Amino acid sequence: MQNAKDSFYLALRTRLAAINPERTVLLRGAVRPGILVEEAEAPFSQFPNDVFVLRWLGLGVDFDLGAKMAAEQCEILYQTCGTQSFGGLDRGRSLSEMDEEMAAITQPFYTPKLNYTATPPALMLTNVFWDEPVFGPIVTQRDRLSRSANVMVYSYQEQGE
Amino acid sequence: MSDTAPRNPVSAPQMLADALLRSVAGSTALLRVTGASTDTSQSEVGLVATTFAEVVVSPVVMRKLSPSWEKNGEAKWELLVSATGIEQKVNAMDIRSAQSLFLMTLGVTVGGQDYLIESVAANEAFGQVYLYRLLLREAHQQAV
Repeated sequence: MQNAKDSFYLALRTRLAAINPERTVLLRGAVRPGILVEEAEAPFSQFPNDVFVLRWLGLGVDFDLGAKMAAEQCEILYQTCGTQSFGGLDRGRSLSEMDEEMAAITQPFYTPKLNYTATPPALMLTNVFWDEPVFGPIVTQRDRLSRSANVMVYSYQEQGE
Repeated sequence: MSDTAPRNPVSAPQMLADALLRSVAGSTALLRVTGASTDTSQSEVGLVATTFAEVVVSPVVMRKLSPSWEKNGEAKWELLVSATGIEQKVNAMDIRSAQSLFLMTLGVTVGGQDYLIESVAANEAFGQVYLYRLLLREAHQQAV
């Protein structure tokens, strides 16, 4: 299951870097594409703005199939206060931009499953695939707009996983 | 009425803050700072242990905040840190600013107990920071 989670995140990260290279975040002294996995970073008292944050929630396993299939729920949170040059008045537009990027990085709805514990990452036999993202309503907190999107990520458990 | 008279920056407020921190049994705190250039796919998914540097800052004073600050039954603490102590470390580590140092800090250890930084505030006088106030929360025990 961890390989599926890693592959999903890195697929989204690579796509985001291609779609909008300017969306970056400075984390742990390094500039990276503006997407991160919450559970792999230091705890946040508040999420950074203009960044996609992946949070893994539910898990289900189907044992009835020929190969065991796992379904994991991923919540992708993002928020913005707009830009300084517009005095934050463009926060709605900024969130729309993130909505579009969110929709774009999830397509196509699959990616090869890789094992990132190996160097270089080893290609596995199956793909990781997922549903269309389900967008939640906008939450307004004074000058901050936020939204979350839920994606169900599926993967077959391979030998040795 | 605001005081807009120009004054040359002096280090008196910093010296006073340091003296006060020392006079109330100022101790040391250990900032657990991530090393630079940690950007690899493996470090982004929690596979590779990030390199850490332990930065000792002093003088510092720790105080427990009133129960009204407690959230989910977790006590919060305030760490008062000398600005001169931080400035020395920022210069030694060749970091842009104190804020960058705090951004790279994963945790703080005081008296053997680990804490996580919730927020950072700075007290200024004559345009110079003389004290940093770190709002801390106790960290949960991590597996060895």
